[in-house]
Amino acid sequence: MSLEQFKNRNVGTQNYRMLDLDPTPVTGWDKFKQVVRRSLSLELLVGLKVTLREMIKALFFGKMHTTKYPFEKLPIGPRYRAIHEMKRLLESGHYRCIGCGLCEKICPADAIRMDTHYGENQRKEVSEYTINFGRCIFCGYCAEVCPELAIVHGGRYETASEQRASFSLFEDMLTPIDQLKNQKEFPGYGSVSVQADKNIKKTPLAY
Amino acid sequence: MITFAFYLFAVLITGLFLVTVMSKNVLYAMTSLAAGMVLISGLFFILGADFLGVVQLIVYVGAVMAVYAFAMMFFDLSRDVEERHDKPWLIFLLGGGIALTLVVMFAAPIMGEAVHALYPPVAGATNPQAVGLVLFTKYLLPFEVASVMLLVAMIAGIILAGKKMEISLSAMDEDILPDTKENA
Amino acid sequence: MMEVTYLGVIIKAILILAIISAIAGFGTYIERKVLAFMQRRLGPMNVGPYGLLQIAADGIKLFTKEDFIPQNANKLIFMVAPIITAATAFIALSAVPVFPDFTIFGIFVPSIAADVNIGILFVLGMMAAGLYGPLLAGMSQANKWGLIGAARTAAQFISYEVVTGLSLLAPIMMVGSLSLIDFNHYNETHPWMVFMQPLAFVLFLIAGFAETNRTPFDLLENEAEIIAGYATEYSGMRWGMFFIGEYANMITVAVLASIIFLGGYTDLWFIPGWLAIILKIAFMFFLMLWVRASWPHVRPDQFMWLAWKVLMPLAVINVVITGIVIMV
Ligand code: SF4
Ligand code: SF4
Repeated sequence: MSLEQFKNRNVGTQNYRMLDLDPTPVTGWDKFKQVVRRSLSLELLVGLKVTLREMIKALFFGKMHTTKYPFEKLPIGPRYRAIHEMKRLLESGHYRCIGCGLCEKICPADAIRMDTHYGENQRKEVSEYTINFGRCIFCGYCAEVCPELAIVHGGRYETASEQRASFSLFEDMLTPIDQLKNQKEFPGYGSVSVQADKNIKKTPLAY
Repeated sequence: MITFAFYLFAVLITGLFLVTVMSKNVLYAMTSLAAGMVLISGLFFILGADFLGVVQLIVYVGAVMAVYAFAMMFFDLSRDVEERHDKPWLIFLLGGGIALTLVVMFAAPIMGEAVHALYPPVAGATNPQAVGLVLFTKYLLPFEVASVMLLVAMIAGIILAGKKMEISLSAMDEDILPDTKENA
Repeated sequence: MMEVTYLGVIIKAILILAIISAIAGFGTYIERKVLAFMQRRLGPMNVGPYGLLQIAADGIKLFTKEDFIPQNANKLIFMVAPIITAATAFIALSAVPVFPDFTIFGIFVPSIAADVNIGILFVLGMMAAGLYGPLLAGMSQANKWGLIGAARTAAQFISYEVVTGLSLLAPIMMVGSLSLIDFNHYNETHPWMVFMQPLAFVLFLIAGFAETNRTPFDLLENEAEIIAGYATEYSGMRWGMFFIGEYANMITVAVLASIIFLGGYTDLWFIPGWLAIILKIAFMFFLMLWVRASWPHVRPDQFMWLAWKVLMPLAVINVVITGIVIMV
């Protein structure tokens, strides 16, 4: 793409409408005429009318826009990228994280800190996992890189707390075991592909 | 009661004007000037000349406000003003002389016995009416002359200030600006 | 006419002080609510029922906030300036008749605390003196925004004062008195002044908006241009005093407009006088908020242009025509 095209590219489709403004008066006499015309045509009162109309609409026709925030909340998108969630396996209920450490490595803000050990059954287990939300920039790289879809972003956006550690421990982010049936997966980039089951092949025993 | 009020006002006014003259800080000087002017209107109120009192208030509030505008342009308000005293005795002599003359001028008729009101108050007229009656009979000529003088001063001011009024430097494109500077 | 006693005057003074400072506080609440409704918001809702106690919360906040004085400021004048604004606003109100005369516990309370027979001039003069508050505040605080605010104060004051005086001159000529009580009595026997002097009414309103530093002309503290203008360095109660003064001035202008142009506290059809004046004042107050919600600011140079080249000639023409009509 040449620079010309690059500058002129049409970002989206906006329906800009040009206001039909009067030509800017140049001479004093023109200015004077404009002022007289505007004062006598009572343009200012139109402004007053608009605000009064809005007020009447708001007060008597239930057109108030305010959401009383802590008591009412606006719905958010299902894939909103707020505080992370750690997912569980649906069948066993065990957490999905395999302790690969990819998320810790990729995090550009260096917010994730984790530690692993080998459990009794020689499976890698997470002994410590914290995200410092004072540093996290909610870039989503951790969720993207995770091979197990174990870490995803959730809809918890009220991040004020008395303690910095309040909701950043592994247990806090992990889906509670009794909520397992409500755990949601979303299609789209980064999720399990739709034909995942079809693509499963037997591991060739020749290895 | 009235005597007390008079002396109170007199002391306050004198004190404030002393601050105006003595203070090195522009802000103090101007503020005491304004306050003194306001207090002078108190003297008029004591005398029962309400109208003159209020006129004093309105006129001097506006006038001193203009002086403030000049002070704002000419002085750094957060610093004291350094005055230059070349010939202190000359200033003292001239200032003292003028003050003395003024005091003698105004005190002389009071000392003498010949003070009597040429225009005794019109019965039943309120304050503004009384002022109006005198202003438009006995003092009509000085009044008109004063107004013509003010008109002349106003027109002169407009002409002096408005020489290049049709050129607005701030509304100009920057590349035209140097041009006009050469012309000026 | 009953005798005016000291007690009556004192009761009136206390009444004015109490009611007006309460209303001034309440005015901030009303202003927020009305502005909010006009933008289809709710305004303060959480402190008390419908946010009514928001005023108390604000008061506590203002009182307990640190009273901060900048380092290079001229301390004395910096401290005095807000007091000038608040005090002159209340002194101006002392010469404004708000309610009709009434008798309470056998004590006669006059409609006016100080019946100076040049009421209008006194009120205007006092409100003009009140402009020294912003001026001194801006000049003493060693802050460039403050200084710009002060400069604008001086410029704005000199511009609109002329219009205020001239616009009121025509009604004064018709009534033939400077006493606000006479204005009220004049309205009893004649149609309202606003129908006879519509131009003067409009001019007075415009000048009144400039005088109280309300939106189309709030150049002194225009947040978008000069932070907070003269109030930039102020905090706590001193800042609060500026705003009590501003709201008291708004009420003064509202009262003046209702008495001079809108018939004052004379009975209106079936509405008793005291209710009529309250309704009128409330409407004028609402108008100020309404305008604030609807119209943008003007630039200082536009304001000067308006005051000197449009309003003043109009006011002079109005005065001349009124004079000719009276003479003929
Ligand atoms: S969202 Fe980005 S910054 Fe936050 S923890 Fe994940 S990788 Fe780190
Ligand atoms: S990338 Fe996923 S599986 Fe790997 S450590 Fe992070 S959360 Fe666990």
